[in-house]
Amino acid sequence: MNAAAPPIDAPTPPRGLSRWFGPLGRRRWAVFAANRRGYWSLVVFLVLYALSLGSELIANDKPILMSYRGEIYAPVFAEYPETAFGGDFETEADYRDPYVQRLIEDGDGWAIWPLVPFAHDTIDYEIASPAPTAPDARHIMGTDSQARDVFALTLYGFRLSVTFGLLLTLVSSAIGVVAGAIQGYFGGRTDLLLQRGIEVLQSLPILYLLIILASFIVPGFFSLLGVLLVVSWMTLVPVVRAEFLRARNLDYVRAARALGLGNRKIMFRHILPNAMVATLTFLPFILSTSIVILTALDFLGFGLPRGSPSIGELLNQGKNNLYAPWLGIAGFAVMATMLSLLIFIGEAARDAFDPRKAL
Amino acid sequence: MSDAPLLQVRDLSVSFRSEGREVKAVRNISFDLSKGETLALVGESGSGKSSVAMAVLQLLPYPTAFHPSGSIRFDGQELVGADDRAMRKLRGARIGLIPQEPLTALNPLHKVERQVAEALRLHRGKIGREEARERVLELLKLCGVRDPVRRMASYPHELSGGQRQRVMIAMALANEPDLLIADEPTTALDVTIQKQVLDLLYELRERLGMAMLLITHDLGVVGRMADRVCVMTQGEVVEEGPVKDVFRRPKHDYTKKLIGSVPKGGPLPVEDTGSLASTDDLKVWFPIKGWFGRPRDWVKAVDGVSIDVRRGRTLGVVGESGSGKSTLGLALLRISRSEGAIRFDGEEISRRNYKAMRPLRSRMQIVFQDPFASLSPKMTVRQIVGEGLPLHFPELSRDECDAQVRQVLEEVGLGPELLDRYPHEFSGGQRQRIAIARAIVLKPDLVVLDEPTSALDMSVQAQIVELLRELQARHGLTYVFISHDLKVVRALAHDLLVMRAGKVVEQGPAEQLLENPQSDYTRELLNASLEPIA
Repeated sequence: MNAAAPPIDAPTPPRGLSRWFGPLGRRRWAVFAANRRGYWSLVVFLVLYALSLGSELIANDKPILMSYRGEIYAPVFAEYPETAFGGDFETEADYRDPYVQRLIEDGDGWAIWPLVPFAHDTIDYEIASPAPTAPDARHIMGTDSQARDVFALTLYGFRLSVTFGLLLTLVSSAIGVVAGAIQGYFGGRTDLLLQRGIEVLQSLPILYLLIILASFIVPGFFSLLGVLLVVSWMTLVPVVRAEFLRARNLDYVRAARALGLGNRKIMFRHILPNAMVATLTFLPFILSTSIVILTALDFLGFGLPRGSPSIGELLNQGKNNLYAPWLGIAGFAVMATMLSLLIFIGEAARDAFDPRKAL
Repeated sequence: MSDAPLLQVRDLSVSFRSEGREVKAVRNISFDLSKGETLALVGESGSGKSSVAMAVLQLLPYPTAFHPSGSIRFDGQELVGADDRAMRKLRGARIGLIPQEPLTALNPLHKVERQVAEALRLHRGKIGREEARERVLELLKLCGVRDPVRRMASYPHELSGGQRQRVMIAMALANEPDLLIADEPTTALDVTIQKQVLDLLYELRERLGMAMLLITHDLGVVGRMADRVCVMTQGEVVEEGPVKDVFRRPKHDYTKKLIGSVPKGGPLPVEDTGSLASTDDLKVWFPIKGWFGRPRDWVKAVDGVSIDVRRGRTLGVVGESGSGKSTLGLALLRISRSEGAIRFDGEEISRRNYKAMRPLRSRMQIVFQDPFASLSPKMTVRQIVGEGLPLHFPELSRDECDAQVRQVLEEVGLGPELLDRYPHEFSGGQRQRIAIARAIVLKPDLVVLDEPTSALDMSVQAQIVELLRELQARHGLTYVFISHDLKVVRALAHDLLVMRAGKVVEQGPAEQLLENPQSDYTRELLNASLEPIA
């Protein structure tokens, strides 16, 4: 609704991405791309995230594609019982089991395995020494204390952390912006009441609250998201509130009132875009905070359920097995890369939204 | 040595490094200033006049700023490139500075006595507390600070703008400098205060025999104060000479334009065709809250004002800052809360809520003072000007809206190629045109103009006044023109209203009121309004 109408005298209609952006968006994109560090951080981050979204095809304990007696199977996408291959059990076939592998070989079959033949929760029973094992040809980043492949663990863990962080950031920012906008724009009693409510919430010790909640809520992806949402939506409120308090008496807002514009339009068309710069500066920090909170909870054992691929748990193992430095190093490397990339992207985005920033 | 000029500036250039490029602020200017003489540097914003002043004090942000060429000699001593220790001995001692903004030039946490005494202590070496105190008192008295004994123990925020500027002058004069640099000394002040401060400066200069370098954009100030004038534009001095000669017989085109830019002419001749808007005993009181939110006292911004805006005419509202004139304008349009009856086109509107006001909004519009604040920075000109159209004329198609926006932009003198630009790409005058376009695209009957010209350069002011007059003639608009500047008001208003401290001092037809003011305050205002050609 806010997008500019296409310029009538434009010689050629812009194509591709830029058509969706409008003139301002194009300018912003140009400023963003001019920040090389931020631009390449975004590229690297997107590539990493895209790759991790396809984790199942990169690291898995099932073949991507296999044939058995002339028929094609895709175990990554569908479950097949062992009996389908002439085995004994009705449960899903364990393709890593030598017995199952022999069955498939007997059936003139072949299998295309993923690059790493372990999923994040695959326990490798054939490691050379007691777990955790150091990096070798079989496990390029070694295994953890439960003989699981660390590379697979970090790959799945990265995906989970970023997805969780993104969801938490988007939802909590949306709530925070709306709440801050209402507080700042209407001010007075509305502001007072909401502000007191926020202060009550903020004064609760988050970590203890989560630890207590974890004892009677089944920890899962969405229940954890919900709980963290309750305590994290306030981050943006003061920033947005301050912007709105400042802007509501500015002349251009008065001019909009003189035009007879409704409150909602004034708030979201006139004030919010100007509050966005401040908001965006905070977004990468909120995202990294969300990821850090999740990791911290996992580290303490109050996070996602056991068996979830988790960087926090990996770090905890690193702490418990100091003689196996590859665990801690892997966890640290993933966290450091992820957080640095996000901050660089955030910086570039902030510059891009600054109207006075020259190209 | 006595006939050598006190300050000799030769071939001075000032440049700023900005992202690898060189921005030339001042190009090869030369001038002399003798003892006891006043030289005015006149120019519009961006002409480089303040850079010259700062260069004399060597207070430019070096090394971002640098001098590609030139020399500044003060009493035979070269200042360009002089080391900081030598400059510190001159600054405040032999060269005094009155900065532009008295609001920010004083340290808010220091009392007046301490600030003025600091200037003394720096250059007089050991000076006793009592001695310093006496001297400060003397200086404040000299500069006409009211009640100086009490004021010495005041913090800057307790003083009014004019009093603060007097304290600044006292600080600049503390060590009886030979040269006083006054950088727009009165721009931030009200007209009557302006006059007092200028009179004071004039008198002090006579008494102390200082030379004065006066930086200003206001030809009125030049005419009153200066012996000689240098006209600057785009970093160059285009004309120099005694004030009277330059004003009477300007040679350079730019000087002619500058002198011609004082808004001239009178309002359009129109007949009185009845009342469009009026108020009856209008009050806008802001509560000062005490404990538990009970109003302890009231700020009476507008206190019982009755006005009558006649259709097709211009009502000029004149007053100094804080007189409630802007609040009156906002209240008339029901943007500010108020008490008392407001009638618009025969209808009582003071009880309508925001929604019920909406149908009337297209008929009453407003243009604000600061064109930098009144346009949403994140919207294009097309969006800004066209925003109200779909709201008030839902029957218009997108193309029709667009056509109207183009037409109205053309009327205010802006081309269609500017439609998709953002406000920060425009100059102040252009922005004010956009703001005017936003108001008149809705075809209003009443437009409140809240100091539409006071944030603009002189030559632009005259253009805007011309534009407003033209639009009034074409569309039969009714204006409420709020201003502190009588020159501008005189060029537009049919009727006048003089306000002071929320109350009406005097009102009536403009001509009659200007010719024959009844109240002392109006007379004082008229007196203070500076005519450039003495």
